[in-house]
Amino acid sequence: MNSKVKIKRLATGVPGLDEILGGGLPELSFNLIVGPPGSGKTTLAHQIMFSLATPEKPALFFTVLGEPPFKMLRYQQQFEFFDLDKISESIRFVNLSDEFAAGNFDQVLAQITREVETSSPALVFVDSFRAVMVETQQQAGAISKQQLIQRLGIQLSCWQATTFLIGEYLSTSAPNPLFTVADGLLSMEQSVQRNSMVRKMQVLKMRGQATLPGMHTFRISSAGIEVFPAAIIYGDTGKTKDTSGALRSKKRLTMGIPRLDDMLGGGLPSGYSLLVAGPSGSGKTILATAFLAEGVRLGEPGVIVAFEQTPSQSWVRTLDDMIRAGQIGLINTRSLDLSIDEIVQHLITLIRTMKATRVVIDSLSGFELAVAPTFREDFRESLFRMVAVLSGLGVTVLMTSELEDRYIDLRFSPYGAAFLTDAIIVQRYIEIGSRLQRVMAVVKIRASNHSIEIRRFEIDDGGINIGEPVLDYEGILGGQPARTKVHKMGDRGKL
Amino acid sequence: MPTTDSKALQEAIRRTLEHHSGGTRDARSVAEATLRTWQLMADRLAPVIGTKGVDTLFSYSLYLTCATYRWLEIAENHGENADLPASILARLSSREADAAAEAGYTLLVTFTELLATMIGESLTERLLLPAWVLPSLESKPGTKQETKP
Repeated sequence: MNSKVKIKRLATGVPGLDEILGGGLPELSFNLIVGPPGSGKTTLAHQIMFSLATPEKPALFFTVLGEPPFKMLRYQQQFEFFDLDKISESIRFVNLSDEFAAGNFDQVLAQITREVETSSPALVFVDSFRAVMVETQQQAGAISKQQLIQRLGIQLSCWQATTFLIGEYLSTSAPNPLFTVADGLLSMEQSVQRNSMVRKMQVLKMRGQATLPGMHTFRISSAGIEVFPAAIIYGDTGKTKDTSGALRSKKRLTMGIPRLDDMLGGGLPSGYSLLVAGPSGSGKTILATAFLAEGVRLGEPGVIVAFEQTPSQSWVRTLDDMIRAGQIGLINTRSLDLSIDEIVQHLITLIRTMKATRVVIDSLSGFELAVAPTFREDFRESLFRMVAVLSGLGVTVLMTSELEDRYIDLRFSPYGAAFLTDAIIVQRYIEIGSRLQRVMAVVKIRASNHSIEIRRFEIDDGGINIGEPVLDYEGILGGQPARTKVHKMGDRGKL
Repeated sequence: MPTTDSKALQEAIRRTLEHHSGGTRDARSVAEATLRTWQLMADRLAPVIGTKGVDTLFSYSLYLTCATYRWLEIAENHGENADLPASILARLSSREADAAAEAGYTLLVTFTELLATMIGESLTERLLLPAWVLPSLESKPGTKQETKP
């Protein structure tokens, strides 16, 4: 006999959770869901229960010491996953708070055991136990609260059921026998910074499978919990295939703006990330829209993540037409408590759904504002991860970046995005003859020749029109343009 | 007094009360039917929301019902509420049959409506359905439904 036990993994029904668990929840495992009040423990447990419970594989949900059952049933019904048809047939709630409050811990344990033995559930949930598990006075010979929890933990791990104990443990790092007994340990937390709230969860332990390490943000909406696994950079583990080389073919994408392709040395190399940096109103978004429109013209679907623009603007009307036609996917958000992983998750889904090859992020400045304050410190690192993930998908990315016009130094992005991207186009204003003119230059294209000219450009209803190189002036990036010697002489000649 | 738009819950309670009173119209039978129905409902609910939850809800229902039926009021300091069901049984039995029937019905409907306010009509109905007499059974003369505790 050489047949090894094969562990079946259950799909939890919580978007993103199976991914961070490493493929689902092991059947017959004993799991702890821990976290402070309000962190979403009961909601997570209910969502898993409503997803998995069937008349053939019913669930028992014991409420021991959590929110009052009234409240729990009242508020959990607000979630879409709460299926009334499953109550009684597939899910049974059992309240033991009276016995628990009276200190009859033996009875609590006995009743849980009795109920489980009687109905042979496939899923058992016990909600919930308090953090510190303070020893309370008990009758001689009776078990204490702590003993109850430990015995319960052992029993939960022995029944032929997938079981969950939900608790408000203060610290998962403190020694606790339960943590040793448990097969899975899921920690949930929430943090409020300024006026944003960010929820995170972490799989601290899951026997027998490789989980996604680190904190993963999640959101609770009317649909329930959605987890946004921290973006994996394809090709960095050796497990996922490094396709970036293959994907970065020699193919070049046309930008949809006459002369720009020439400036880029024949178009933007496919799979590259391009940063378009410039001051407000310089035409970054119009350039990005042209990039997407050109893709649509060539039958290449695109996706835009928009943070700033309002629908009244003309370029959005162009974009709106493409979005309505299903040629461009849109992620439009002004929420101020996003995590980059959440955006990346939505982006990846949309890219795959639409089979998009062109992606625009407009703009990094708006992105930074939309990200919850707690993530802003790591914005650059997260940006790096995002670009790497998108690069791994083989899409060509255009990011815009608001850049304050400075004439004392040459900067391309406040986030160090210049280093992260493969190509850079910079736009600036120059003052000539007491009038503002726009100029554009290609600063960098990794491993490719490109124009080094600074060219004037104008914007009209048709979009961007790139003009001739600025040969008649010098020093324009320093903010003090002066006629070049040749042109000065020409000027004199005219006189 | 009942305020819910759902007639189904009210009809289920009236049907169950009539079923348990066996069609007799004396106050004692009406009182016993009220308590029997209440006990069946409590038995269904206690495992889900706890005995204390059920008792609290019932006490508040009684308080609300007493606004209309003041004679049903049970003073806390009289020690009567130590055995609340027995006190209610005595109160209902001491009235005319019609008055007792109406008060008992109002008490149970108020209780059900309070519960429905908290957890919704659908879940309330789902939890309490086994305690109630179904229309089909009730309409057959001579049949008697055994409600499961």
